[in-house]
Amino acid sequence: MTDPTPSSTLTDRYVWAVLRDVPSGDRPELEREIRALIGDAIEAAAANGTLDAEAAERAALTELGSPGGLASRYTGRRNYVIGPNIYPVWQALLRLLLTILIPLIGVLALAASLIEGSTIGQAIVAGIFGAFQVAVQTLFWFTLVFAIIERVAAPTGPIEFGAAGVVVGRGAGVRPWTVDDLPALPDAGRISLGELVASLAANALVLVALVWFQLTSAIVIDGHATPLFDPALWSFWLPWFIVVTILEIVFTTAVYLRGHWTTAYAIGNALLGAAFAIPAIYLLANDLLFNPALVDAAVTAAGGTGAWLQPTKVIVGVSIAVIVGWDGFDGFRKARRSAAAANGARG
Amino acid sequence: MDFSDILSGGQQELRRGTVVLACLLLLRQPDYGYALLDRLRDLGLSVDANTLYPLLRRLESQGLLTSSWDTEESRPRKFYRTNADGERLAVELLADWERLDAAIRGLSQGDAR
Repeated sequence: MTDPTPSSTLTDRYVWAVLRDVPSGDRPELEREIRALIGDAIEAAAANGTLDAEAAERAALTELGSPGGLASRYTGRRNYVIGPNIYPVWQALLRLLLTILIPLIGVLALAASLIEGSTIGQAIVAGIFGAFQVAVQTLFWFTLVFAIIERVAAPTGPIEFGAAGVVVGRGAGVRPWTVDDLPALPDAGRISLGELVASLAANALVLVALVWFQLTSAIVIDGHATPLFDPALWSFWLPWFIVVTILEIVFTTAVYLRGHWTTAYAIGNALLGAAFAIPAIYLLANDLLFNPALVDAAVTAAGGTGAWLQPTKVIVGVSIAVIVGWDGFDGFRKARRSAAAANGARG
Repeated sequence: MDFSDILSGGQQELRRGTVVLACLLLLRQPDYGYALLDRLRDLGLSVDANTLYPLLRRLESQGLLTSSWDTEESRPRKFYRTNADGERLAVELLADWERLDAAIRGLSQGDAR
């Protein structure tokens, strides 16, 4: 099949470049097929008599086009990160998030730098750097979430031969569209863009609190960077909270793409909330949540008395329980309202 | 946008589905990829090689074409043939094609009046 002529390596390179993008199970059959097709094309081009062997091979491979393109047509795989169904949502949300986060973090970083005693020039640099970092981080994580949604939830058949028209719109994004996906009229359990942003921002703050206060020298006591939470929690609970928070972000985005709450979403929401709140309150109640070094320093700073510790713990614990409890309850309320609106619309 | 661009875009849209139908009809007689490409081009149904070959494979995986390797010749070739399901689809699509043709014909004659 492979002649020992110098030009045969061009075909070898082409075939290799196609096959590396194809699942390994399909490779032997596809290699045989592509080699046969290239062979036929070379033969036909050479039979014209105007081309020598190498030019005929070049012409044949040029006609087949880029190996990556051919491979993606064979596999029907998406060769894009975010497709047309969810792109509008990605774009609108990203724009909104960046307009809120960039100035906010920029100003915060500038202020923090000034408080630490930097000059104005240094503070401005810190502000710009902070804003830049948050822009890059937001872009990356936000796009990653959407890329996952695209692969897990968005509907598309083979790109090349699919329907010519693509319906683009909210609620059409996650599955083949049905009339049940029609958004309810405003104010009836429909999750608004504002709610989504508020929820994403709250979860992003939790992530920042978890990661930033833990890994950077945000809190400095006696010249030592002191993590906010007990470093022993890295073994399990901190990663757990981080994962649950990321799942919350994915989940909220999915509800928004769906357009309205359903009982199933409300149950998922309540479970995620419980997965966060129950361990958090347990750790708090057993003095396992915050960094002991930080607690000691705070007690010392308060004049050696720890009398305020117990009330503070109760306040924090009750706040978590109330916020998460309300959020869980709210999901069911919205699901019920949304269902009632849909029934009302039917007659 | 240039008129010729609009034209070629419109032609592409029109032809997209006809390639499937043409393949199913042509492959009532078994044939291999390159020869099929040639026959389609002779018929004026120009289609890119890198569109046709993956299409054949997709039709095969959908159970509309059957393939077999012919190793008699100097070089092995993969022959495709329309099977019973493919034939059924071809008949349905052909009927649809005729309906479309009649409808468009009616429209263009109505236009002339």
